Amino acid sequence: MTTTYKSLALRGIAAGGIAGVASALVQLLVTEIPIRAALAVEEAREPAGEGHSHGGEEALVGRGAQVVGGMLGVVIVGIAVGLVFATAYALSKRWFVDRTPFSRSLAFGAAVFGAVALLPWLKYPANPPAVGDPETVNYRTALYLGVVVAGLVIVWGASLLAERLRAQPQPVRVTAVLLAVAAAVAVVLVAFPAPPDTIPADMPVNVLWQFRLSSLAQLATLYVGLGVVFGLLIDPATRRAKASEKAAVA
Amino acid sequence: MTSPAAHLSAVRVPKWAFAAALLGLIVTYLVLQENGLALGASSELLHEFFHDGRHALGVPCH
Repeated sequence: MTTTYKSLALRGIAAGGIAGVASALVQLLVTEIPIRAALAVEEAREPAGEGHSHGGEEALVGRGAQVVGGMLGVVIVGIAVGLVFATAYALSKRWFVDRTPFSRSLAFGAAVFGAVALLPWLKYPANPPAVGDPETVNYRTALYLGVVVAGLVIVWGASLLAERLRAQPQPVRVTAVLLAVAAAVAVVLVAFPAPPDTIPADMPVNVLWQFRLSSLAQLATLYVGLGVVFGLLIDPATRRAKASEKAAVA
Repeated sequence: MTSPAAHLSAVRVPKWAFAAALLGLIVTYLVLQENGLALGASSELLHEFFHDGRHALGVPCH
């Protein structure tokens, strides 16, 4: 049924858009609360502030536009990531091959969340506005992308290892893969340098952590949501359920 | 249930799939990372417009 790349790609785009909208709603209702609190901290510093604008009189983009633009950005990222996700799914030759498309997609979404969201979040936790030295942004970006790449390599390595161990009984195979992943994650967390920026003293610790946890919730919504919706869209079982529903009604 | 593995070998990935995936990565980069490297001056507008989303998705920012 869903056997061409084009049909997978279109479903990836649709699933990414839906997961992106869900994540953008989490942003509007949850993440914006600590963002507002952080912007108030930044404004309180104002006299010395120059350069980066977050609203106010002479801002390049007003606060309202930033809220809408931020949500739009999340939806666009969802669609773009959905396309990449579908392509990786289409190329995968050993990812849980004995499972249904829905299970494969859900596991893939969870793995991608771990690699490109949870792992970088653990090493370089998300920071709200008013935290972060503009001087170090390129260095921080390089470190962040480095952890993302390392996370994806770990996922790829785990699937390779599981394939190599397929002659082993399942409990042995799963334990071995989990141990290898844990060891690789530990190496990444130790090997990458500590975050370069200190948290300014005027940033309340509850605002900081409310923001970080909101950010993680939003990332989970995006990536796990993508895995779930893509799985629903590609699994023939979804359609069979719908068809039998219709038959039952008729 | 669905027949496993059967659909796997059936998916033929054309060459343009890699271009499509690359496009997805470029769009993600433009929204989350554009700090002036690729677009120069117009990037600041883009940067400020997507500002909240970038923070919310945990990407390093200013």
